This record gives sequence, structure tokens and C-alpha cells, in this order.
Amino acid sequence: MKTDHVDEILKRYFQPDADQSDLARRVLQAARESARDARRLLDTIAINATTRGVSLIRAERLDKPATAAARRLAEQAREELGEYFEGKRAFFSVPVDLSATPDFQKKVLAAASRIPFGEVRPYAWVAQRIGHPRAVRAVGTALGRNPVPFIVPCHRVLQTGGGLGGYLFGTDVKSRLLSLERHTPVFEGCTSTRIVCRVGCVHGRHMRPDRRVVFASVADARSIGYRPCKVCRPQAA
Amino acid sequence: MDEERRLMAQVARGDEAAFTDLVGRYGGKLLGVARRLLGSRADAEDAVQRALLQCYLGAGTYRAEWAVSTWLYRILTNVCVDELRRRRTRSGELDPPARPEAPGEHLDLRRALGRVPTEARVLLALRYVDGLSYGELARIRGISINTVKSQLQRGKSLLRTALTKGGAA
Repeated sequence: MKTDHVDEILKRYFQPDADQSDLARRVLQAARESARDARRLLDTIAINATTRGVSLIRAERLDKPATAAARRLAEQAREELGEYFEGKRAFFSVPVDLSATPDFQKKVLAAASRIPFGEVRPYAWVAQRIGHPRAVRAVGTALGRNPVPFIVPCHRVLQTGGGLGGYLFGTDVKSRLLSLERHTPVFEGCTSTRIVCRVGCVHGRHMRPDRRVVFASVADARSIGYRPCKVCRPQAA
Repeated sequence: MDEERRLMAQVARGDEAAFTDLVGRYGGKLLGVARRLLGSRADAEDAVQRALLQCYLGAGTYRAEWAVSTWLYRILTNVCVDELRRRRTRSGELDPPARPEAPGEHLDLRRALGRVPTEARVLLALRYVDGLSYGELARIRGISINTVKSQLQRGKSLLRTALTKGGAA
């Protein structure tokens, strides 16, 4: 490339900043804390499932899944939740079974499920979305009884002013989940296959860490020659 | 370079002094790239801290075929690009907020850079903060050297147009 005045402006603009003396200390402190958090949260969770999908996630002891197929789904959910808590998953592929859930609550949970990963919406947004704009309190109650928290992301629903509102596992966990989602990427590509996936896709799980590239959008990935995964279909995220 | 690879091996064994040494060598440059990509110093510091955390926790996965700098820049750009994605979904646009205290020329450039597509902007930052070669840029973003050249060319061309129009307003 030819050098011109744009190069000179760019060089001046991009001059490195002075170092930060306590940066290493802060990182080492965060490293000690981060590993503990994910494990501790997963250990507090009990999961039940039917043959159709995950039916209940709670902090107390639950009945064991009745069949081998249900047990496999509960195990899959635990594995996916573990990856999610570690910031290695931005969506869930395990199915949920909401057949025992009342219709109104089903609508509320369906609306909450449409809130994209890493984003938040007010309770009033959910009420509007299900066609009952005045039922804000009922929406809060329905979300509070969410049978499958984390997978149906009721933690992404906040008070209109930005307050946390309530949460089945406590507002401290709600706040940690929101922070976790702020720091978990959504799209990643593999430099050897040139395929872009949603983070957590089965393809990405076997990717060598040094082949992982994060993208801001599928369009960005396409612009430099990556193609979307046919399994997780990131363009639909 | 061999010395840095030895340093990485020590970091992988949990040697905190080696990690502090590594941060001393690269902290400023990483902060420079992050700041130019994200705009605010607070966001840049947060991104660098998260990148270095990934570097520390994932030091065991570092492969000696990589230059340490390339590996660090890969991790940092991954973090920054995701932050840019979040801003886009949050506000519907990619431009980082302009800092009123920035000198005129820099303010114009910041605005103009906001119009450059993410991938080209990342390559421009890496190229101009640390003078990385096309080959290194290609390895960092997992693309061909020709794609690096065309993206840089496109980014610069968009900047030139914006700046010659008297700012990117």
C-alpha cells in the first residue's frame, strides 16, 4: 500500500498508551475468583426432565428423571448450563417440556425466550408482547414461577427503571447472569474451516482454542470469507 | 521471541511473576488497540483485563508455533469485537461515543473510523498501533493476506473520503 497523509494521521492516533502498573495484579485477582463462581452455581442446581425435555430447574432436591431418555436430557441440560456459566455457550439446544405450564405463563415464557442473549427488556415489554399490556404484575408472577430458569431467560426481564426486580435464585445470581452474558461472545469462527457458529454449537466445542475468532455479526464474518454453520444457523440468532 | 515463549510456558505453570512480566511488555500496546477500537478508556481497560484473564487461564492452550504477540492480539481483538457487537445491538449503530476533549484531527478520525466496517477497523488498529505485518494480521483474524490487504485498502479509502469531505459529519 502507498503511504500518504492518512497513514500519518493513523500513526499519530494509534500511538500506544502508557502501561498500567497494577493491571497484572487485578487480572490475577479476577482469575482466582472466576473459576470458583461457575462451579458453585452449577452445584446448587437440580434438574428434572421428561422424555420431551427439561421440565424443572430448582435450587432444592428434585425427583430423578423417570426414564433413561429423560435422564439423558437432564444430563445434557447440566452440561449446557455448565458451559453457559463458564461463558462458553450463548444458546441452549436442549428442549424444554412446558406441557404442565398454564397457557398464560406459556405465553409469558415464550416472550421472554425471544429476548436476545445479552440483552434485557422491562416486564412491561413482555406484557405488551403477549397482548396484555396492563398485566405487568401477572407477568412478574409468571416469570417468578418459571419452571426452567436459565434456559428460558427470565433473568433478562427487569423493572422499567432498570431495577433488577425479583429472581428465583436471588437477585445476586440474576445480576451475575446479566454480567456473564455481557462478557460471553455470540458468534465465533474457526480459522481452519472458515465456518462461523453461535458460541456453544457442537462444531465450536471441538475447535482448537487458537483457531477461534470472534465476530460482531454474521455479515462481518461473511465479509472476510467465512460461511455460516448449517447446524446452529447463526444468521437466525 | 524465544524468551517470550519461555515466559508463556512459565505462565502456563501458574507463575504469577512471569505473567506480570508479560503484562509489563504488552499491557500498553493492548490498551492502545482496545482504546482505539472501543473509544472510552474504561471500556478499553475492561477489555484488556478480560483478554489478559483469558490469556492467563488459557496459557496451557498456547502453542509455540504462534508469536506471543499474535496470540495476545487474537484474544484481545476477540474481546473487543464482541464489545462492538454488543454496542450495535444496544444502540443500533457502531460508532463509539465521541470524546469532547479529543483534538480536532482525532475527533474527525474517530467519527470517520465509526463508518469503517468492524473487520477493517480492527485491522487498521492493529496495523497502526503496533505496525504488525500483513502476515501477522492475517493470522490474528484467521484470513488470507489478500483479504487483509483488501480490507485495509477499503478501510483507508473510506477514511480518505470521509476526511477529505471535512470530517465525517
